[in-house]
Amino acid sequence: MMMCATNKAQAARKAALKGVHGKKEKKEHTSTTFRLPKTLRLARTPKYTRTATPRFAKLDQYSILRQPLNTETAMKKIEDNNTLVFLVDVRANKRHIKDAVKKLYDVDAAKINTLIRPDGVKKAYIRLPADVDALDVANKIGFI
Amino acid sequence: MRQPPLCSATKVKVSALHEKSQAELTQSLDQYKRELLDLKVQQVAGAGASKGSKIRDVRKNISRVLTVITRKNRDSVIAQYAGKKHIPKDLRAKKTRAIRRALTKHESTRRTVRQQKKDAHFAVRQYAIK
Repeated sequence: MMMCATNKAQAARKAALKGVHGKKEKKEHTSTTFRLPKTLRLARTPKYTRTATPRFAKLDQYSILRQPLNTETAMKKIEDNNTLVFLVDVRANKRHIKDAVKKLYDVDAAKINTLIRPDGVKKAYIRLPADVDALDVANKIGFI
Repeated sequence: MRQPPLCSATKVKVSALHEKSQAELTQSLDQYKRELLDLKVQQVAGAGASKGSKIRDVRKNISRVLTVITRKNRDSVIAQYAGKKHIPKDLRAKKTRAIRRALTKHESTRRTVRQQKKDAHFAVRQYAIK
């Protein structure tokens, strides 16, 4: 009891003067490089949405397929190759076009080829599967 | 074989649109867009008179419906944020960039106590001089 008292007193004096962070454990580094430590990353909780309402989708199926072509070459394609020829939006890709045709005319496309005409308009050759007649579909759409 | 047009291309009344619900409005929108598509196809087919005026009417109808939809959405958002401190940026007053960054009326009328005392004791006198 008597021995501990002086040690305790010394420790208290030291703590009062120097503070209590005397001994710190040294971390063992197994590599020479210091990498960024993993810290807590919180998800965002915004106090307000940046725009009041989200914008409409401008490239919906109605704006993708602009108009069908019924030129002589296009008619030939309908009869011989079972394909429909459409002018489409330039920003549409083949997946968009396939989806649009499915939604608007309820027809699956076997494959689609696209090209951009010299006047900047995209043309799509939409080949229909063998069990569907392109001429029938064209009649149903109404542009024959 | 040709499908008949879904509705005649007359101008839709905005007051009628305001009474519709959101679901009905999106339905009308689809309807008008479909009609526009059909008109364009008919134009390509070259049947009958030019469809220009009808197409114009349908396009304007579509924009009327979109306007009403946006208006309703924005009104509900404004109501949702009413009285709150932070509101969406496109609902805040636009004015000009400089005005938005200027001192508020309260901030610009702030005076130090020293200045207040000066103003009180050594105010600029107004005389009535003949």
